[in-house]
Amino acid sequence: MKTLWKGMGLSLLLGACATTPAPNATLESARAVVQTAEADPNVSKYDPLDLQAAKRDLEIAEAAAAHRDVAAVTQPAYLAAQTARLAQLRASAKADDARVAAGQAERDRIQLTARAHEADNAKMARDQEAQKAARLQEEIDALKAKPTDRGLVLTLGDVLFDTGKAELNAGATRKLDQLAQFLTEHGDRLVQIDGFTDSVGTDSYNLDLSQRRADAVRSALQGRGVESARIATQGYGKAFAVASNAESSGRQLNRRVEVTIGGENGTPIAARGRPSS
Amino acid sequence: MNLQLSNWSARLAVLTGAAILLSACADNPAADEKIAVAKASLQRAEQAGAPQAAPVEHAAARDKLARAEKANADHNLTPATELAEQANIDAQVAEATAQQQRAHKAAAEFDASLEALRQESVRSSQPTH
Repeated sequence: MKTLWKGMGLSLLLGACATTPAPNATLESARAVVQTAEADPNVSKYDPLDLQAAKRDLEIAEAAAAHRDVAAVTQPAYLAAQTARLAQLRASAKADDARVAAGQAERDRIQLTARAHEADNAKMARDQEAQKAARLQEEIDALKAKPTDRGLVLTLGDVLFDTGKAELNAGATRKLDQLAQFLTEHGDRLVQIDGFTDSVGTDSYNLDLSQRRADAVRSALQGRGVESARIATQGYGKAFAVASNAESSGRQLNRRVEVTIGGENGTPIAARGRPSS
Repeated sequence: MNLQLSNWSARLAVLTGAAILLSACADNPAADEKIAVAKASLQRAEQAGAPQAAPVEHAAARDKLARAEKANADHNLTPATELAEQANIDAQVAEATAQQQRAHKAAAEFDASLEALRQESVRSSQPTH
């Protein structure tokens, strides 16, 4: 029996647990380990059965100790301690598994919400795009601008200028306000301002007058906050007539300033074709 | 393994078939059964990665199992049974250690990915325009 205990002691040492072969030390260690496992909330929740087994073994060890049956203490005490450790390890693993399982529900929820958000955002972007297009169309309608290959063209008629002069009269104010507002809202668009006259008078006079009228419109826009760098002007004189100069009504149509508004993102405005006259 | 079978143990072996079959050629059913159980636990522990995760417990279980088999072969009933019981619980602790480490690592990785997802969701739920 003595050699048996020696063998047991050696193997317990190899087991490298806190226990020593001495029965009392093994029992004390078992009490401590079982107590720790009992205090672990994961154990009561996830592995109460192993804890119960550990406590039964500990009771057997305690009973043996109480009866001074020293030889019968070590084995149940050792089993009690290891079973209590087992309970803590298994409970800890189950607690981790439970946390992951609970988290998976949250993860699914977040992913669903994210997908719904993406769809909402895409719809919102489409709606905003549509609203923007509708608003632009309203503004263009309000300006009475005509879409052409070169851009939106707005014609300021002769009546907005005093006869033979380059100053804009009071009648032009409303139109210029609208135009300036449009250009302010669409700050990425370039503007080409071209002046035209009828065929009455010398070419040099007409070229000069058409240039001054175009410049007058630029000044008016600058005065309303449109950056001059966006605005180019050109006087064409009697060229590019839009009506017959043989009649006074046609000549009136020819005396005009055309404002061409370029596309989005500073798209350059194409040059005019060859003059028609 | 002890091959010296007495008539008595041979008759008992027939009566307690499974345990004897598992541990084969021994002459103590109680110890044989405990040894068989410990062997199975050790095998499970090794499959669970215990040699890496819990080398000390695993080595203890192996050592005690070997000693239990030796004691059984030497007809030392009590030490064979007790060592087999210890080998069994040590192997279970080793297996549970490996599983606990794995579960803990998986949970930590999951926590990290969930946290990343939460933060991503906070960002993406803010208006894009």
